[in-house]
Amino acid sequence: MAMTMSQKRNTFSAFRYFILTIWLLIVAFPMFWMVGTSFKPDKEWFAWPPVYITENATVRNYLIVWANINEYTKADGAHIDEKTGELSQYTQSLQRPWVALRNSTIIAGIATTLAVLFGGVLAYGVSRHNIISEGKMFQLLMLRMVPPIVLIAPISLWYRQIGLLDTITGLVLLYFLTSLPYAVWMAKSFIDEVPREMEQAAEILGASRWRTIWEIVLPLVRSGLVATFLFILILTWSEYLLALLLSKSEVLTLPVELSKYQGSTEGRVYGRQAALSVGITIPLIFVGLIIRKHLARGFSFGMVRR
Amino acid sequence: MSRIELTDLRKEFGSVVAVKDLNLTIEDGEFIVLVGPSGCGKTTTLRMIAGFEDPTAGEIKLDGTVVNDLEPRDRDLGMVFQSHALFPHKNVADNIVFGLRMKNVGKEEQLQKLHEVSDLVRISHLLTKMPAQCSGGESQRIALARTLVTEPSNFLLDEPLSSLDAKLRRELRAECDRLHAELQKTFVYVTHDQEEAMTLADRIVVMDQGVIVQMGSPIDIYSDPVSYFVADFFGNPAMNLIPGEFVKNGSGIEFKSDQFNVPLNEKFSSVPIGSGTFGIRPENVQVVSSNSDSNRKIGLVEPLGKDTLLYFETDSDRPFVAVVDGTENHTAGSPVELNFPQENIFLFDSNGDRIRA
Repeated sequence: MAMTMSQKRNTFSAFRYFILTIWLLIVAFPMFWMVGTSFKPDKEWFAWPPVYITENATVRNYLIVWANINEYTKADGAHIDEKTGELSQYTQSLQRPWVALRNSTIIAGIATTLAVLFGGVLAYGVSRHNIISEGKMFQLLMLRMVPPIVLIAPISLWYRQIGLLDTITGLVLLYFLTSLPYAVWMAKSFIDEVPREMEQAAEILGASRWRTIWEIVLPLVRSGLVATFLFILILTWSEYLLALLLSKSEVLTLPVELSKYQGSTEGRVYGRQAALSVGITIPLIFVGLIIRKHLARGFSFGMVRR
Repeated sequence: MSRIELTDLRKEFGSVVAVKDLNLTIEDGEFIVLVGPSGCGKTTTLRMIAGFEDPTAGEIKLDGTVVNDLEPRDRDLGMVFQSHALFPHKNVADNIVFGLRMKNVGKEEQLQKLHEVSDLVRISHLLTKMPAQCSGGESQRIALARTLVTEPSNFLLDEPLSSLDAKLRRELRAECDRLHAELQKTFVYVTHDQEEAMTLADRIVVMDQGVIVQMGSPIDIYSDPVSYFVADFFGNPAMNLIPGEFVKNGSGIEFKSDQFNVPLNEKFSSVPIGSGTFGIRPENVQVVSSNSDSNRKIGLVEPLGKDTLLYFETDSDRPFVAVVDGTENHTAGSPVELNFPQENIFLFDSNGDRIRA
């Protein structure tokens, strides 16, 4: 018997939720695993069958990573070397998560702010006055398609000469420039959504160009710019390759710091890495929460009827 | 006192000429309607007056001063857009006082004017709402109020009603008329709707392909069109326009097409022989009931109450229409004779130009 329209719709809807649920599980699982592992005692990191939810939850990983407290007791169920009573031999002195956090905050924060600021201004010019042609706009985006590894050698040579190697300024400049194309493209798509007539209405009512941008355009694209900001922040916050190769010891960012949690005998120290990863993720979630009002609007802009 | 003079105004977009050397003087207090099909250059002309488009050549004068290089805000104009262009993030009151704020009018005066103007266009109950909460008709009233409140000498209206439904359009059309009568300001109104042009205008400017085809009062345009294009554009239902040929018939001239043969009287004796178009308005067609040997039969009867429309099939894709009094009794399929009074006949040559008697 043929299904009625509403039955069809219900079936489709159920199917959609099924797919979305599976997708959500796939996306959420690594997060769950990261948080779970960060609370696991050492011996459960590699356990087989895997421990999904630990019964011996401990904050030791956090204490070791973030507070530099490194004492092991049998009570924690840690896997302890019989002779030395130490778990690992990784060099404690090289790990400076708080410095890395500070550096990452400064570098990603400044670079992202600059990219959105300049990107927004450029995008307005492109959208309204065609200061860059369509073709040039694509070339701008193509720049970003160049694998960073290709650029590393010339940039590090050049950086060494002008003294930008291993400096915060150097990384800020590089992140700003590499994320600018994204910023221009995203901001342009939001500015394009503001009808030209709305600006003209303001102009003919007596508003100057700046007043029009400030009072009409900016409030309407604010959500879009905030979405752009978060997108670029995530990119620069988690950038690894450039940060690794353009800094030696002074300017350490969080992703680089993360790679240092490896023991010489037991390989990756997963619990510590997970604890650091949680710390790396929390600021992003925090930023996301502060601006969540704008995000829903920013990311759905253009799809809603105004 | 405010007078808009356009001299040899020209606008090119790349290789496309949107407006071709246009000359037009709009008198103070006049309600002028620029009308024509889309792409005829009417909106471009309006946007040049507003200052949103720079003319390629020619002059725009307001009150005798050339304003080509003035910013839109320095031209003493108000403009209402097709899309209303309300600011979606400001409430209705803030939308309306925007222009006053930009001109640094004091808070108290702002409030006073806000209430005056919202009474004038009857939107006082909407002031605290956001534009998204207002209907299309309300939005257009708000847009009008926002423009009115700054008291410009000239109002430019770019198809302000075309996004509204028919009933609202009629209502707001009357509103525009009332406002013009009350304010005594110059209105330049752009539309593609001939009915709006007919009902609103003191003077209609008909445009086609960047040039002015005809200018005049609505009744002039209707009763004395200069070309096939104008004749076809104005009137609802549209004028019957039948392609055919003018041929010699004894001492006189006759119009011949597959379905109509109309002898023309002596006042048309100078009509050039050759192909052309015969035109007559539906209301001027005389329908006479005939005995069954007439081969002309009514195709469709459309009673509208006061009038009844009779449709006759033709070879071309548009039917021949006659308007008769609603009290007359006609049925589809019944045979009739059609008479065309000579004084109501319009003839056009093969270029579409009017052939005058």
